[in-house]
Amino acid sequence: MKKIKLTYNKALFLIWLVIFAFIGFRAPGFLKMNYLVNVMIKNIIEKGMVALPMTLVIITAGIDLSVGNIMVLSCMLGALAAGAVGEIPAVILTLVIGAACGMVNGLVISRIKISPMVTTLATMYLYLGLARGITEGSSVYSYHISAFLGTQKLFGIPLQVWLFLLMAVLFVYLLHSTVWGRKIYAAGLNPDAAAYAGININRLIMQIYTLTGVICALAGLIFLGRFTSVKYDAGTNFNLNVITIVVLGGTSINGGVGDMRGTLLATLIIATLNSGLTVLNIPIDVQTIVQGVVLIVALVAYAVVGARNRRKKILKVEEAPGASV
Amino acid sequence: MKKKELSTEFYLLLFLAAACGLLGIFAKGFYSVNNLTSILNSFSYILISAIGMNLIILTGNIDVSTGALISMVALALAAIGKTGIPFAGLFLAAMAMGAVLSTLNGLFITRMKIPAIVATLATTQVFQGILPLTCEGSIYDLPASFTWLAFEAKLFGIIPGSLVICLAVTAAALLFAKYSRFVKKLYAIGNNREGARLCGIKVDQTIVLCYAIAGVLFGITAVIVATASQRCTTTMGSGMEMTFIAAVVLGGTSSAGGSGRIQGTVIGALILAMVAPAITYLGISSNWSDAVKGAIILASVITGEARNIKVKRVITKAAGGGA
Repeated sequence: MKKIKLTYNKALFLIWLVIFAFIGFRAPGFLKMNYLVNVMIKNIIEKGMVALPMTLVIITAGIDLSVGNIMVLSCMLGALAAGAVGEIPAVILTLVIGAACGMVNGLVISRIKISPMVTTLATMYLYLGLARGITEGSSVYSYHISAFLGTQKLFGIPLQVWLFLLMAVLFVYLLHSTVWGRKIYAAGLNPDAAAYAGININRLIMQIYTLTGVICALAGLIFLGRFTSVKYDAGTNFNLNVITIVVLGGTSINGGVGDMRGTLLATLIIATLNSGLTVLNIPIDVQTIVQGVVLIVALVAYAVVGARNRRKKILKVEEAPGASV
Repeated sequence: MKKKELSTEFYLLLFLAAACGLLGIFAKGFYSVNNLTSILNSFSYILISAIGMNLIILTGNIDVSTGALISMVALALAAIGKTGIPFAGLFLAAMAMGAVLSTLNGLFITRMKIPAIVATLATTQVFQGILPLTCEGSIYDLPASFTWLAFEAKLFGIIPGSLVICLAVTAAALLFAKYSRFVKKLYAIGNNREGARLCGIKVDQTIVLCYAIAGVLFGITAVIVATASQRCTTTMGSGMEMTFIAAVVLGGTSSAGGSGRIQGTVIGALILAMVAPAITYLGISSNWSDAVKGAIILASVITGEARNIKVKRVITKAAGGGA
């Protein structure tokens, strides 16, 4: 049989193609290169960036509900420090704070063994509250390096898009072609077995959450530069949006299953939906519904594909010893 | 056996008592009638939903769509309330709507076999998106019959109506937790889903019913939140789900399911309701309240887990000695 195997990634690509073609057909202005790169892609960059390490987190059967708040807290503290200590130390401070926030998550999850959801729920409040308390509820404003990251263009394409592409390649490589990536899958599928196989799970978890923190800080710099001012609650919807992207990309929330390329495709789908529906003059509320419906369709599709594959596998196993069904 | 295991609730109660004592000394005016009434009002609506959330979390599931669901019910209530129907009608309508919406969540989770957090994440977006389509941001100029609960319903002229509802719900929940088979089933499912199924528990059906009951409670919260003023906005409930989950987690319920008690949730909700006013009365900027909430939750779960580690060690030692 020459049947083309329908994988989830191919299905995602088809979904994207349909959405893209539909919007392009209805609003030809949408298809201009300028719009695609400078609006559609640029608007999703921060979420796309954080979705990369979030994929790793979710593959280890974890979750991080505090990413948006780490992003806001680190870039705010950096911006506050920029006036006092200069810009380059401020950028370093931003990244260090991001790493520290991520490390706190990782420490509590791996050493004290509190479930990732509870931990990051608590730290979500903590980071949100710290950002609110330190700034006393007022906005902070961007500084040169941050503005440079958020608005500069290179060869006509925004700098952050280049940065995102670079990171995407790096993360695909990390997850799919390195021992470290295999360890992440192992830790997600069966942590005990992975530990017996000699993987230092605690260290792995620490690394992943710290990495997430650093990337959040980087996304924070871009975010601040793009909007010129940030308020403490800017990251509130960010957390669930990032998780939506990762889940839409076919990463199982139960851990052990996932694909970085799926996350990238999902980023593209959400970006196309967000900007495309705006071009079509569809109010933002309907966009939220559409996004929710796409997620539901993807989840159902994923459940159906998964169930079918599982059935096939079981049949194969049972045929071999000739056992009765 | 005389030596009794000290429960999470005991430590929480100790913390609460200490906090109340310190507040009495350092925070002037904290125990004024006005402040207490406002704390008890927020305590009521947090607790009612937190009990529903507790039932859901006991089964090992979760619901992150609660905030959007409450906004939705609140707006629908405002639309109905404009016609001036009495409070009893609003109350029943809210419970019914909450139950229907939450049952949808439950069905979605059990029929499609989608993890609860993801499924409710998706329904959150649908709920949130539908809301603003129904009205332009808010419904206002609501009649006096709508805000009856917040302003006129006072037992003996002083106890707010919301607290009475809350106490009734809590009492019912405690009785159910102690005597009903249904709650025992929830614990069984949370502890070992497959084991529960083999024992003859209809797992899917129980989970859907659990969501429906939680939905009724969410509906009651929506009534209290919506009727607090003459204006209902589309974002009334947004973010609330995290407060409810926090109250449940603070109360010592394991997010993996299968353990935790209503009593803990009651104390957790009270602590969370007290944080913001306590900080204001201590003369600290209210901007710090979220940070304090986060720190309390984190400290609570860490100390809870630290005690468990000790208990586990003792068990392993005993088992090793026996063998």
